[in-house]
Amino acid sequence: MSEEAVKSETPYVLRCFVNGKEESIHTTPAARLLTIVRDELSLTGTKRSCEIGRCGACMVLIDGNAVNSCLTMAYQCSEKQITTIEGLAVQGMDPIQQAFLEEGGFQCGYCTPGMIISVKALLDENPDPTDDEISEALSGNICRCTGYGGIWRAVKRAAEGRRQTT
Amino acid sequence: MLLNRASSGGRWRVRPDGPGKVTGGLAYLTDMTTDQMLYGLVLRSEHPHARILSIHTDKAKKLPGVRAILTYMDIPGLNAFGIAHPDQPVLCEERARYVGDALATVAADTLAAAQQALELIEVDYEVLEVVDDPERALLPGAPQLHPGGNELHRTVFSRGNVDQGFRDCAYIVEETYYTPRQMHTYMETEGGLFVPGEDGRLTVYSPTQHGFMDRMQLSRILAKPQEEIRIVSSPIGGSFGGKDELNVQPYGALLAMQTGRPIKIHNSRWESVRAGLKRHPMKITMKTGIDAAGKLMAHQVSIISDTGPYSTLGAEVLNFATEHVIGPYQYEHLDVKGVSVFTNNGMSGEFRGFGGNQAIFALEGQMDRLAEMAGMDPWVFRKLNMRQSDDLGPFDQPIAMTDGAKQVWEAIAKCPLWMEKQQLARMSHSGDEPWIKTGIGAAFTMHGAGLGVGIPDPAGGRLALAADGKIEAVFGYEEFGQGLLASLEQMLMEQFGFGAKDIRMIIGDTDVVPDSGSTTASRATAMMWKSLQKLKAPFSGQLLQRAAAILNRRVEQLRLAEGGIKGRSEEALLLSYKELAAAAGEPIRCETSFSFPTSSTERVGAHYMYTYSAVVVKVEVNTLTGRARVLQQYHVVAAGPVINPQGYLGQIEGGSSMALGFTLLEESIMEKGHYITRNLDSYLVPTIEDQRGLVEVEAIEQLPEGDDYGPRGIGEVGSVTLAPAIAAAIRQASGKWATKLPVEPSFLQETPFFLGKG
Ligand code: FES
Ligand code: FES
Repeated sequence: MSEEAVKSETPYVLRCFVNGKEESIHTTPAARLLTIVRDELSLTGTKRSCEIGRCGACMVLIDGNAVNSCLTMAYQCSEKQITTIEGLAVQGMDPIQQAFLEEGGFQCGYCTPGMIISVKALLDENPDPTDDEISEALSGNICRCTGYGGIWRAVKRAAEGRRQTT
Repeated sequence: MLLNRASSGGRWRVRPDGPGKVTGGLAYLTDMTTDQMLYGLVLRSEHPHARILSIHTDKAKKLPGVRAILTYMDIPGLNAFGIAHPDQPVLCEERARYVGDALATVAADTLAAAQQALELIEVDYEVLEVVDDPERALLPGAPQLHPGGNELHRTVFSRGNVDQGFRDCAYIVEETYYTPRQMHTYMETEGGLFVPGEDGRLTVYSPTQHGFMDRMQLSRILAKPQEEIRIVSSPIGGSFGGKDELNVQPYGALLAMQTGRPIKIHNSRWESVRAGLKRHPMKITMKTGIDAAGKLMAHQVSIISDTGPYSTLGAEVLNFATEHVIGPYQYEHLDVKGVSVFTNNGMSGEFRGFGGNQAIFALEGQMDRLAEMAGMDPWVFRKLNMRQSDDLGPFDQPIAMTDGAKQVWEAIAKCPLWMEKQQLARMSHSGDEPWIKTGIGAAFTMHGAGLGVGIPDPAGGRLALAADGKIEAVFGYEEFGQGLLASLEQMLMEQFGFGAKDIRMIIGDTDVVPDSGSTTASRATAMMWKSLQKLKAPFSGQLLQRAAAILNRRVEQLRLAEGGIKGRSEEALLLSYKELAAAAGEPIRCETSFSFPTSSTERVGAHYMYTYSAVVVKVEVNTLTGRARVLQQYHVVAAGPVINPQGYLGQIEGGSSMALGFTLLEESIMEKGHYITRNLDSYLVPTIEDQRGLVEVEAIEQLPEGDDYGPRGIGEVGSVTLAPAIAAAIRQASGKWATKLPVEPSFLQETPFFLGKG
């Protein structure tokens, strides 16, 4: 798609899969995925905070990769598999979510969906990450409440849990 | 006890609000939408200081989709707000005093239309001289921002005669300390949903730390009885003091009343930066002297606080700072002066630590410098000068006496990290990377809880057996992440014997909760604990009496348990709470209300209850990059019984992370009244990369016999001692004394040795 088309306000039908469900969304090519997810699909687990790709509150998975939905435009999602926090708990909670609960990896919870999405992308790709790898994978997710102590504990526990079950 | 999951055993629990938070299922108030909803936006001043000559909204009003545009002329009641003193205009009439000042507010069918409308509003300004420096604001001839001038508040406290005191000193340290305009950076920006009802009532779903205060303030603005306004205020995506004052509520409320339609407002980050509160930047000058034996003789302090354009809690923050620049030490001669000054900079206001952060950075810096001058170990120096348990408080006021100071001092003295400091001192800084230097430092405080003398500080709550058999705990406190619900649940389980499933907690809704005061100043957990202590006998008594009548047993034979009533020493359930609720009789319901304990002094702002805490940190300074990294932290907190171990640990970990930002990273930079740091790309808060070091928390629970005040606050202490401890560690590592926060890399950078010669 050309630059002009992206910028244009021309109507656009986005076809993609959100949490496994096929969707056709009437929007514009440059509409932000964050707005689509929150306002069109009412999936408000994905949060908005900085809108410039710096905080990670808006993270979703696109084909398994963690991306900032505030920086992603509708046309970039065409035919993609999008997973939001709501799509993570398929049969009961994901072990990552369980680990956050048990270790106290959150307080206000506003960063938590984005944080968990980033952890999910990390552990799916690298089940046994080093501290450096954890730090790098999560350095785009700001948490103002916890000081990251509980997040470190939760990520390590989640990784451990996965290794034991596989 | 070192607080962690293992040491807490079964007391380490999953938070009741946890599942909703980790699954994204919990709707925050800024996630809410409804039918017929309009989008609200606010037009704010382009200039930090300007006369407003005219505001024309005609063009904007004609825009399709625009439903209302309001200016100062459309405010039915008081055009002002402010918790302590309402002097901030809701919508400015003739003058704007900062870049967050609101001039007009718009409601439209879409956000795009609202945005376009803002652009079409024409404002004629006459730009005025900007007062951006509190010291210059006090000079004669400076533009006056308020009818009463540029001074919001002054404080004075003295004892003895400092001039004479200094004459007898062997060593004197004089230093000036600067602290930054720190931003709360709650991840959820301000916002909410404002819904007018058919009955004429207005429901406000918007985060705040004190729903009843918002209700009172909105009632003044709308000229609408308080009973016609309902404030729903939890859950909250972080606040840290920043959402205690009104923010978007006046605009949402006015627009909803005007249009008769629900209004949604959710600030962008820039809007939040521009209009929102920050920590008061302070300049604190201290002159402190000791005798040859290291005894403190005289302490002279001058505080200048930049409070921004309007009052909010600027005076109260200065009172707090004034108390905490005196702190836990004894001086014969004392002379403290403070002034809080209006400027055209950003709004300053309440922020976790409440002026203690700035004060303690300066005070502890003095202690470290004096110890060094006298050739003493800094911790031994503190012991020599520290308050004794039966001493009066900093303002010579009676306080709830504990051994906290001594307990904390001793715990640090024997902690391995502190002992490592001596070894470091003996090691020379060479090795593979000679530009990496390591140091260890520590700092100490007594931090006041509650609002202090002279400010209404109500507390209380209610317990009831609901018709469906749930034990209802109803409190007017807010959950902004600190774990208030988890603490309440845990207390109900541990103190009464209920199971988690038996309990329904209701908070943050002015229609149903009693006014329990503000969720602020590290007071809520203590106040809930006290309320439950007061409610325990009457409420348990009523439940058991009713049960005894039904079961035909004696009250003494029965006890409250998970699921219902059991026999004293039996495990079988005799009667469920549901059955108990279904039985005939008066409703079972107990309420208590009281005030947070205050000192018997006239001194406004003086505290009665204190938390004692200290921290040791290990810091690594890279003299090539100038970056300092915190490698390890050991916190000791004496705050009475640990109500909720996970929450306690989280408060200290989280508070100290904020303090790390305050010390090494964070500053809202302003130039001539304009923000330069407008979003999280330039305003940097700690990331996980900054927080890789071990953080340990030792909780000292023991209180003196007969002390019935229970747990002290822990919401703020984690954030107040880290800065001076880091500064002391940097001193050991690099030989430099940091006096200005955040510590700039350029201050720590050194010319590499291989470039030094030649
Ligand atoms: S909202 Fe997308 S990164 Fe902050
Ligand atoms: S839990 Fe509040 S921002 Fe992370």
